[in-house]
Order: sequence, then structure tokens, then C-alpha cells
Amino acid sequence: MIETILYDGLAFALPLLVIAIGGIFSERSGIINLALEGLLGFGAFTGAFMVVMAGNLFPASQPAGIYIGMFFAMVGGALFAMIHGLLCVHFKANQVISGVVINILSVSLTAFLTRQLNALLFNQASNRFQLGVANRFTLPLLSDIPVLGAIFTKVYPFQVVILLVVGLAYLVFEKTPFGMHLKASGDNPHAVEAAGVNVNRIRFAAVVISGALAGLGGISFAYSISANFNPMIYMGYGYLAIAALIFGNWKILNTFFAVLFFGFARSAGYELAKALEMSSTFNDIIMTLPYVLTLIILVFFSKQNAAPRALGEIYDKGKR
Amino acid sequence: MPRLRLKVLGNENWQWISIPLLSVFFAILTGSAVVLLMGKSPVDTYLGILQGAGFVPKANYAGGTGMLTDFMSFLDAMAPMLFAALGVTVAFKAGLFNIGISGQMLAGGFLATVLIGYSDLPWMLAKPLVLVIAGTAGALAGGFIGYLKYRFNINEVVSSIMTNYILAYLISFIINTAYVNPVSRQSEYINPSAALTIKGVSVASVKVNLSIGIILALLAAILLHYLINKTRLGFEIKAVGANRKGAQYAGINIGRTMVTAMMISGALAGLAGATFYLGYFTSIQPGVLSGLGFNAIATSLLGNISPLGVILSSILITILDKGATFMSSKVGVVKEISGVITSLILLFSAMGAYFRYLIAKKQPEYESGGEEEAHK
Repeated sequence: MIETILYDGLAFALPLLVIAIGGIFSERSGIINLALEGLLGFGAFTGAFMVVMAGNLFPASQPAGIYIGMFFAMVGGALFAMIHGLLCVHFKANQVISGVVINILSVSLTAFLTRQLNALLFNQASNRFQLGVANRFTLPLLSDIPVLGAIFTKVYPFQVVILLVVGLAYLVFEKTPFGMHLKASGDNPHAVEAAGVNVNRIRFAAVVISGALAGLGGISFAYSISANFNPMIYMGYGYLAIAALIFGNWKILNTFFAVLFFGFARSAGYELAKALEMSSTFNDIIMTLPYVLTLIILVFFSKQNAAPRALGEIYDKGKR
Repeated sequence: MPRLRLKVLGNENWQWISIPLLSVFFAILTGSAVVLLMGKSPVDTYLGILQGAGFVPKANYAGGTGMLTDFMSFLDAMAPMLFAALGVTVAFKAGLFNIGISGQMLAGGFLATVLIGYSDLPWMLAKPLVLVIAGTAGALAGGFIGYLKYRFNINEVVSSIMTNYILAYLISFIINTAYVNPVSRQSEYINPSAALTIKGVSVASVKVNLSIGIILALLAAILLHYLINKTRLGFEIKAVGANRKGAQYAGINIGRTMVTAMMISGALAGLAGATFYLGYFTSIQPGVLSGLGFNAIATSLLGNISPLGVILSSILITILDKGATFMSSKVGVVKEISGVITSLILLFSAMGAYFRYLIAKKQPEYESGGEEEAHK
């Protein structure tokens, strides 16, 4: 039972992590990103659509299909994030409003496009793209370790990709000049500009990266939880990722622990319900767990957290 | 051409209407382009939407119905939208973003349904009690978010979303265990005596649904206009929204003002829930947050975040929403297009600040003798 909690918890936590890291990129550069929900949805939509299109060559639940889905989910998320970037960086829109607008646009646009494309290309009236659940694999030797072996048991292919991407994102964020400029843009954009770096370009790039990462997380949820792309992808996971990054104080490592906490709380809840042989209506109560925990955690951590200093401020070169 | 554009848009006295109209214009234009791409006629599409909402007569009607039936049904659907958009508006005025309208609607609608909807109270008691209970429940849910913001510095967007999901799942659980109708998979229908819409009234030889909610919603808009512009509380709310530190310096109790604003916002959302779940509908679908609570944000932005402006934008957004089904069956464009147009309106409205900024920047250039012309 502990093993189930561990591997199911990880399967939920890792997509959440990559979405939250997307949020960190954007917010540390100074752009509030409430659009994560919409970005993960649009990314999942794009990925799922390409998987279905390539379905004849590469079956949806085979590895090749999954990698195609992940790649295009990142592309779709990045493209959609450009709207948020344009609105916030170039059109000087209110970043909170822009984020919510992107979410509403994403919900209505993907609902429209899924129905339209299904009717047009496959001649069926459906609001979903069927993917199937990705095959999980178990590493032979490592999985035999007691308890901790669960980490190497029933692993989804996307978890490996996410770990690689997260590692890369961490290096970019902490070790490259781009990462330094990005963090400085969120704290003191004028100093960055004085050093000869274009703040607007850095911020736009950060938002686009956050879209790509959110898209990767989105398609992973589509491949594990729902087994298809449908409007139910908008379950509030983007907002959960935001809560995780606030809980993690806008730092990648702390956020990693936050998502692990969410993931294990969720899988432990399901296991508990199973163990107590409760009927499936009780699933609704368990589903509230991550959200209740988020609220409680925020009560304790919101006071002393240190948001990037220039977060949400519209950057105006002329202003000092 | 740029001169004419500036003359129309640059006049600040008219910007309250010219900029929203521009947003709507762009959205309808983009929507038309999408419809054209699908090989359908934009004129038929928009005409179909207007017909479905009861603004333009249809070619034929089923027995006992007429254009008035559609129009009254439109009013019935507009009541919750107007209430919800007013709720968004009050919070906006205090500088808060209440995205928890859907959850507060559900809280109000659910409590009123359970406590009054299934009781045998006579209508004179039941109908007012529905309003009181729904409003109170919404106010508490909204005030909770305001309190978290003020006391613990929790971003209200995150906490409203969390409460949205908690309420949705919790209420879904209660409905599924105690109040579910096994056939419709929704909550049991409420007694007509508690309903805020009187169904099937005969007027001029057609059957219509009379909405009590729309009258109340219009009254609420006028009251809110008065509250925001003529009272001390309204002034304090606006001061907190405009500049929190400045308001504090002026001696305004920020925490109390924010919580009060969120309570008013939540109460309006609760009333939206009452007119939605105990008026336009008479039961609750478990586990679903209404999209109306989110579209209300678009409505409020489009209405310039003003109570009277919101009346106009509610009409427009409700037409798009209400007319889509008929249009879809008649023209064959999927009905999700109206959601896309609504969110496009929202997208262009979000750029409203940029339009203003651009105009303000361009204007002096033209007034000082048209240098741009000289460059050409």
C-alpha cells in the first residue's frame, strides 16, 4: 500500500512540478502567471491533436506516439503563452486579468476546436481526443529495493522526460547568464536594463518557456489521469501549481518538496478510501484534499514569503 | 484615417462607450473570420444567435411559443449573469479579483435549495427566504476569501479557486448521497413555490417564463451604482482599490473595507446562484461549476467595471450565450463558437488599457500640428 502511495503520488507530483517550474520562470522574471491552467490545457490539446493525427503511423499509446504528444504539447503551450507575453510585456495589460483571460480563452478555444476538428477530420461528434493510458514500466533490479523501490515501479514514460526537462530547467535557471538576467528582471529590472540587457525580451522568453513547461505537464495529465484530451483537463491543476510555487517560495528545490507533498496527500487519500472500502461517492471528498491542504498551507506560509520584488509591475523604461 | 480614429477614440467623454464597442467590433470581426474559414456565413451565424435570444423573429415557431417566449427566456438567463457581473464589479472596485463567483453561486444556490427548495412553505415566505439564504451564504463564502487576503496575505485568486473546487466537490458529495434524482443524475427538482421564475404563464396566446430575478438584478445594479458613487463605504472601497497605502494614510480601515467589499461581492454572487439554480434551472448538476461565473468577468470588464455599464454588457454576453444553441441547429456552426467570441471580447477588453495609453501618447503629436504627416 505504501508503494502504491509512492508511485501514484509521483505520477501526479511530477507533471505538477514541471508546471510549477514554468510558473517560477515567468514570475521570477516579473510576470504574474495565472495563465498556467490555460497553458497546460492548450498544450495538452495541441499534443493530443498531433497524436491523433499521427495515429496511423504511431499508435497513441506506444512510446513514439507519446513522445510526439509531449513535443507538440510543449510547442502548443509555448505558442499560446505568447499571447500572455504580448499582453503583459508589449500591451501593458494588467497581468492578473491577462492570465485569467488566457484561461477562459483556452477553455473555450480548445472546446471549439476539438469539436470542430473531430467533425471535420474524423466525421464524429465528440469533444475529446482519445489517447489511452501510457504503458508504465518497472526497472528490474532497482524496483526490488524495499519501499524505495516503488520509485522505480510503474513509471510512466513522461516521468523520465519530465525529470530530464526539470534538470535542464534548473541548470538554465541557476547556472546560465540568461537565468541570472531573468531573476534580476524580476527584482530590479532597471538595473538589468542599465547593464545593457533587454528586460522585455527576457520576460517574453520567460513566459514562452513557462508555456512550454506547462504544456508538457498538461499532456502528462492527459496521458495518466484521463486517458484522453477533453475539457475536464481544466481541473485547477494550474492553480495548484501556483499554490505549490508560492508554498515553495518561488524556489525550484522548495517547490519540488511542495509538489511531493500534494502528490502523496492525494494518493494516500485514495488508498485510504480503498482500504476503508468506502463507496465511490467518497471520491469527491478525497478530491478536496489537495485544495484544503493548499489553503491551510497558504495560511501558514503566505505571510513570510518573499515574492520577486518587481512582480506584477508593468516595466516602463522611462520610469525610475 | 488615423486622424478620424483619434477624433472618435480620443475624446475622453466618449471612451467609456467607444473602447468597449471597439473590443466588441474586433471580436465580432475575428469571429466572422473563423466562421468564414469554416465555409459558413457570418451574417447567418449572428442572425441565428439574435433569433435564438428572441431579438429577431424566427421563420416559424412551435405551437404555443413565439418570439416573446424566447425573449422572456433570455431575460431569465440574463438575471444571474447581471448579478454575477455586479459581484465581480464590486470586488474590482476594491482592487480585488473575485474569480470565486462560481463557487459562491453554488454555495448560495445549494443552501437555498436544500433549506427552502424542498420545503412546503407558501410562496410569500419561500421566495424571500431563498434570496436571504442564498445572499448570506454567498456573502460568507466571499467574506472568507477577503479575510484570508487581509489576515494572511493569501492571494485572493488562488484562495478563490481553491474554495471553488472545495465547494464543488463537497456539494457534489452531499447531493450524490442525499438529494440526487436517480434518473436525471442531478439534484431533485425544487418546489415551484420556491422558484424565482414562474414557468409557463400565458401572455398574448404564447407561454412564457416570467423572471422575478431580472427585476431584482436591475434594482441591484441601480443600488450598487448609488452605493459606489454616493456613499462613504463606496468611496472607501474605491480608495482602497486605487491606492491601498494612500487609503491607509487617509485613515481608512483597509482590512474591514476589503472584507466588506468581498462580502457584498459574494452576496451578489449568491443571488446569482439563487436566480440560476432556483430560477433559470430548478436543480443542481453535481460537480460542475457554472461557466457563467467566469464569463461574468468578461461582462464586468466590458461594462467598464461600472454597475450601469454592466447592464449593457450583460445583455450582449447573454445574447451570445443564449442564442448559440438555436444558431448551431440552424446554421450548423458548432455552438462553442459563442464561447470563443465571448473570450475574444474579453481578450480585446484586456487591451483596453493599451488603447487608452496609445491614444494618450498619440494625441499631443496630432494636436501640435501633425508631425507624422510631415514625415511622409
